[in-house]
Amino acid sequence: MALIDYRPMMERCSTCAGCKFIPFEKITSLRFAENCPSIGYYDFMTYSARGRFQLSQSLLDGRAVLDDTITEAIHSCTSCGYCDTGCKITRYNLEVLEHNIEQKAYAVENGKMLEGQKPVMENLAKENSMIPGTKKANRMDWAKDLNMKDLFKEKGEVAFFAGCKYSYDPKLQKVAQSAVKLLQGAGVDLGTLGAADNCCTGRAHQMGFFKEFEKGATTNLKAFQAAGVKTIITPCSDCYHAFKRQYAKLGMDIEVLHVVEYVDRLIQEGKIKLTKSVPMTVTYHDPCHLGRLGEAYVPWEGREKKIYNQIHTWEPKRPRYNGIYGIYDAPRNILKAIPGVNLVEMERIREYSWCCGAGGGCSESNPEFSAWTAGERVTEANATGADAMVTACPWCKDNFVNAVDEDGKKIEVLDIIELVQQAM
Amino acid sequence: MLESMKSELTKIVGEQNLSNDQEILSTYATDGSLEKGMTPIAVVKPENAAQVQALIKWANESKTPLVPVSSGAPHFKGGTVPSVPESVIIDLSGMNKIININRQQRMAIIEPGVTYGQLQEALAKEGMTLSTSLRPRANKSVLTSVLEVEPRLNCLHQFNYTEPIRCTETTFGDGNQIYTGEAGNGAKDLETQWDQEKWQVHSNGPQMVDMLRMVLQAQGTMGIVTWASLKCELLPTIKKMYLVPAKKSVDLEAFTYKVIWSRFGDKLFTMNRAYLASLLGETSEKIAELKTELPNWIAAVGISGDIVLPEMKVSGQEQDIEDIAKQTGLQFLHAVNGATGDEVLEKSISPSGENYWKQTYKGGFQDIFFITTLDQTPKFIDAMYDLAIEAGYKAEDIGVYIQPQHMGTSVHLEFNLPYNPGDAKEVKKIKALYEKASKQMSKLGGYYARPYGIWAGIQLNKDAQSYEILKKMKDIFDPNNIMNTGKLTLK
Amino acid sequence: MALSREIYQALEAIVGKRNISENIGVLETYRNIPAQGSGHYGPSEHWTPLPQAVILPKTAEEIKNIFGICNKYGIEFKASTTFWSAMGYIGGDNAIQMDLRRMKSVEIDVKNMCAVVEPFAIGATVQAEAMKVGLNLNIPGVGCSASTLANFSSWIAFGPNSISMGQGSENILGMEWVLPNGEVMRTGSLGSGDGWFCGEGPGPSQRGLVRGIFGNAGSTGVCTKMAVRLHPWPGPAKLPTYGDAPSYKTDLGDNFKCYTLCYPSWEAWARSIQYFYECDVVYSGHRQFNMFGRDLKAFMLKIITNPDGQLADLETLVQDPELQKQNASMKFDYQIIIAGYTKRDMEYKEKAVDYILEQTGGWKNEMMLEKDMHDYALLYLTRMGHKNLNFVMCGAYEGTFGLSGNVWKAIQVAEEAAARKKYWEQNYTHIAATGGESAMGSLSGIGGGGATGWEFFVNFDAYDKESIRGTSKFIDGNQEIHNKYAFGPDFCRWNSDVRHMNGYNYTQEEHDSMFVKAPQPWVYAYQYKIREAVNPNNLCGTYLRTLNPDKIETK
Repeated sequence: MALIDYRPMMERCSTCAGCKFIPFEKITSLRFAENCPSIGYYDFMTYSARGRFQLSQSLLDGRAVLDDTITEAIHSCTSCGYCDTGCKITRYNLEVLEHNIEQKAYAVENGKMLEGQKPVMENLAKENSMIPGTKKANRMDWAKDLNMKDLFKEKGEVAFFAGCKYSYDPKLQKVAQSAVKLLQGAGVDLGTLGAADNCCTGRAHQMGFFKEFEKGATTNLKAFQAAGVKTIITPCSDCYHAFKRQYAKLGMDIEVLHVVEYVDRLIQEGKIKLTKSVPMTVTYHDPCHLGRLGEAYVPWEGREKKIYNQIHTWEPKRPRYNGIYGIYDAPRNILKAIPGVNLVEMERIREYSWCCGAGGGCSESNPEFSAWTAGERVTEANATGADAMVTACPWCKDNFVNAVDEDGKKIEVLDIIELVQQAM
Repeated sequence: MLESMKSELTKIVGEQNLSNDQEILSTYATDGSLEKGMTPIAVVKPENAAQVQALIKWANESKTPLVPVSSGAPHFKGGTVPSVPESVIIDLSGMNKIININRQQRMAIIEPGVTYGQLQEALAKEGMTLSTSLRPRANKSVLTSVLEVEPRLNCLHQFNYTEPIRCTETTFGDGNQIYTGEAGNGAKDLETQWDQEKWQVHSNGPQMVDMLRMVLQAQGTMGIVTWASLKCELLPTIKKMYLVPAKKSVDLEAFTYKVIWSRFGDKLFTMNRAYLASLLGETSEKIAELKTELPNWIAAVGISGDIVLPEMKVSGQEQDIEDIAKQTGLQFLHAVNGATGDEVLEKSISPSGENYWKQTYKGGFQDIFFITTLDQTPKFIDAMYDLAIEAGYKAEDIGVYIQPQHMGTSVHLEFNLPYNPGDAKEVKKIKALYEKASKQMSKLGGYYARPYGIWAGIQLNKDAQSYEILKKMKDIFDPNNIMNTGKLTLK
Repeated sequence: MALSREIYQALEAIVGKRNISENIGVLETYRNIPAQGSGHYGPSEHWTPLPQAVILPKTAEEIKNIFGICNKYGIEFKASTTFWSAMGYIGGDNAIQMDLRRMKSVEIDVKNMCAVVEPFAIGATVQAEAMKVGLNLNIPGVGCSASTLANFSSWIAFGPNSISMGQGSENILGMEWVLPNGEVMRTGSLGSGDGWFCGEGPGPSQRGLVRGIFGNAGSTGVCTKMAVRLHPWPGPAKLPTYGDAPSYKTDLGDNFKCYTLCYPSWEAWARSIQYFYECDVVYSGHRQFNMFGRDLKAFMLKIITNPDGQLADLETLVQDPELQKQNASMKFDYQIIIAGYTKRDMEYKEKAVDYILEQTGGWKNEMMLEKDMHDYALLYLTRMGHKNLNFVMCGAYEGTFGLSGNVWKAIQVAEEAAARKKYWEQNYTHIAATGGESAMGSLSGIGGGGATGWEFFVNFDAYDKESIRGTSKFIDGNQEIHNKYAFGPDFCRWNSDVRHMNGYNYTQEEHDSMFVKAPQPWVYAYQYKIREAVNPNNLCGTYLRTLNPDKIETK
């Protein structure tokens, strides 16, 4: 779809503010009621999903132009998808996140991008990685001692896909390594794509670089197929969403699991036993792309249909993607299974979790905005009194590690795999 | 009075409704308060709203100050004594029709001269009653009472601060007459509105300005109201009152807050023994006796039921409020030493006899009242006692009345200071105490929402911005400053 | 015409560079399109004028200084918070838009049951903070996503719990208000620094200048802080919710019940409401779900309470005979919540409801007693968090045939209004065919009962221009019925006399020609005089209805 195809949705938005707050019925305090980092940081209406709908109308009508301010506004969205979930609390016919990303693509197609995005996209083009400064040649270094098959050389059905962040960041590599050992220890036969392991390009999609995404995705898809992969396991939530939703849209028919789903399953089957006590109070941060954006793609083809004169529906019914079938319980089950761990919840959780600020390429293109967003979350985590914040996404973890709350305090940030490891 | 003036006034109200008899005029020059007034030059008694409007227009042309009065004498707040010379009293007490009673909407429309006794009797025939201020004077105008927002006994039904008054017919000081509230959006004729099944229920407006609030608490400085619609209550089929005694007022605080929070009861107020004794005692001697018998402080809680399962309601609330009393270390009693709940109830809701009850003890009294919050009342009470002792006024004579209002968000705190008006020394003492205490209460944060007499200066000196806006309002609604000139410090 | 550099820089100096913009793209997002929100005029597809700048102040002092610049240079201004309604948007070409989202604090005085709130504290956040300390808030029918302060000070604010808590205006205590001429008005006890507890006086109340039966929608400056009365909340400190989006539910225990009460006729329905006015039993009372239309409400309820539900399900659901029975049962209905402060209190209230049903031949709808439905409706009406469902059908709605006045009046017109709408549904395609009767509103818009405010919902498609135009024509016709029954005030074409259909302000001459014909023209003339006194340069648009007194003929 092109931006103009979203015109009906733009005009059917009712300016209800649902995109700016957590579901109103979930609000339990003033402090943690809002849920759009973009308007939260920038304040102008333009930065909310409603503002974006209206901005698009103005752009299409030729009244607004893609100047620097508007370009920045368009790209200052972490693509966290909360606006989409929030809208769908009361509406059934708007695809808010899709539009926001389409708006970014519109800007990109017109040559409008942010300075900070350039090195990211250049590195992707050159090194098949969206982390500036990283090299393709080093991509699989993290896995060299892990005894995983190269699925192009040996038969196997399960591909472990670390993603750029886990592959290259030395602090995070250990987590990926732990995850692999954990699964192998439970008897899972893991492989990798070896030299064909490239960036999932999911972030490129989030940033509106559709051509780059499609190119990368198509290549990866072919690689998975050629390698005979039946299941992809990834510890990275961004990759998870990319495969489960975006690649599936392109026709990929491979089971996609996040490490937490698998580990949860293995714990329940008794194949992973958590015996050591980890006396700690923790709070869990739901990564956007594992949670509300972690729902599977459902193929659909249909048309708009009006019933009762004007009631707007689709024939056949469209999948809703309102976030309720995201992955929320698996990580919580894991935490509850760890002896000594006391889980306390933040106010904004599950499908209405606050974003870490790294999504949509914002950690590179809008570092201040990204840091502020992360700081907001650290404030919320510290408000629970937890010793640590646990998450299941390297982008989230990395963004939180250096963030401070409104009083300047940090919080210990752990990947869920690290906690599991401590309990074994 | 000039012949020309006499002739013009006669044309408007008729000779029988005009007087410049000195003896009659002198009764309007003073009241039971410590305010000094001036003798008016005439009294007129209009019979209808058209005459009122004509009088106001005449006053604008002749630049004559008008002082509206609706209740019978004596008055006690200084609002009806002229502050400037050559004033004309507009005595509205003769306009005493109950224009309409509508049971379906529980509305009554009354003219200014209607008294509580008259109205309650008429309402009772329809199974209704009007929430009352505490034991009003027999000749107290209901309309004045509600316009001046005298505190009602049931704060839980005070949804709007202005209850129970809803719509009015008002002639402003510039001579223009409108209906306020929802009535202002329809034809300026009640019969037409009733035909359209509009019963003058909603008080705010008519449009984006709340015209009622221009004349509320205004002491007649903005205009004259010639009818008002009032929201009535159902006449209870069961009504009881319980008494909760305490040593100190602060002991009743938690209980009062909890009863209000639970939305139980339909009347709730606190008095000290002196105030309650004055309320109950028929004679000075009885009051003195009661002051020794009654507990120091008493909260009175009324519970009633009407058309929906009244027995169950009353029984349930009796037990629940008793539980609250116990939780707060208090007793919930039918009677205390010196008084029964029934007596207190009866006295508080019925109008006073021929003599106003506050005059019984010593013949005269001066009230000091203002708005504050319940938790702040102890500091004012302590301060008043200290000031009284300093002034040589007997502390045990100070009456204290705490009336929660506006669904419990604030209280009317009232100090009643009886004195013998025939004793010059006492008068001097009370005047000094009144002035000093009025200032001190304001200093401590007491808010004179109804700024009678010296309170107007005290309050508005503390709030320059409000004074500026008040002047703007005056310029709009009474540009020639003929309405109760000098009141609210508006000269 | 852009603001001159000097003016822009002067404004920038007040709020800081970050909090002002004159970028066209940004400004475009501060134009209202009445069909895409709550317009209450039109509907129309026009956009309101483009502001010259948008500015985000943080304090009353900043606003006062902004007004100073605007008065000096004759620039119009309007403030809004959530921007849901057309009222908050400017109406002229030489105007700036104020966005108050940086002002959002809430402070609560628990004992004396009030909260001091700033403009962007929406109903949900104020309620959430209040519930922590055993208190609750009157959330008007527009829902909890709207600004408490804006509703109470500047618009109507009837709501489901107005019957027990009062209308928004009845809940106003002290206010801090920056008048258009830059004066800062602090009402009541606030003015003298005594506290927020009393918003009246001293003497006649200044607050009456800025808020009547409804507020002036931002046309007399900006209310920057307000103390609002709170009410008891006998529930948990945090509103517990369960279930999947969007069908969140709440279980509040035995001392809360939510019923859909149904009656055999309008007369019985009105009589029951009369009873409820007289017995202090109802915590919340609203005819809420009828907004989905007489033909569709039960089916829509099934959709919105099912996490997998979609509008397309309507076509199958309407064929279910059991649901048809439930729908028919709800023909003359409304919802109530009863809340007990003690066990005895709850027992009494339950019995009182049963008694009233007995007296009026009513019943509790079965479907709405099922736990899922009950808990959904209870949460819905407690938090009013789903008010965007007004727009669910097609993306746009208007409330017309407003029935303001007494409930007995309301029932006289209900079937006539329903028939007119049904005729349109059947003979034209502009509006959704929800079944004619679609009145939604509070059991009482004011405390203690007596005045209702009802809207007949009409749903249309904001993207379909024919739908917009046809709906506008439909509403034009409704005005005749409105006039015939003398509803009021101002409930049919709510705002068509304060803003042109193209979003622009009226001129004084245009307003004069309208209001000189009013039954009591001085009502509008006084509003003119007040505007002269506090807004002498007339810089806040034309939502304040004014009539030049010189136009009134003296008799």
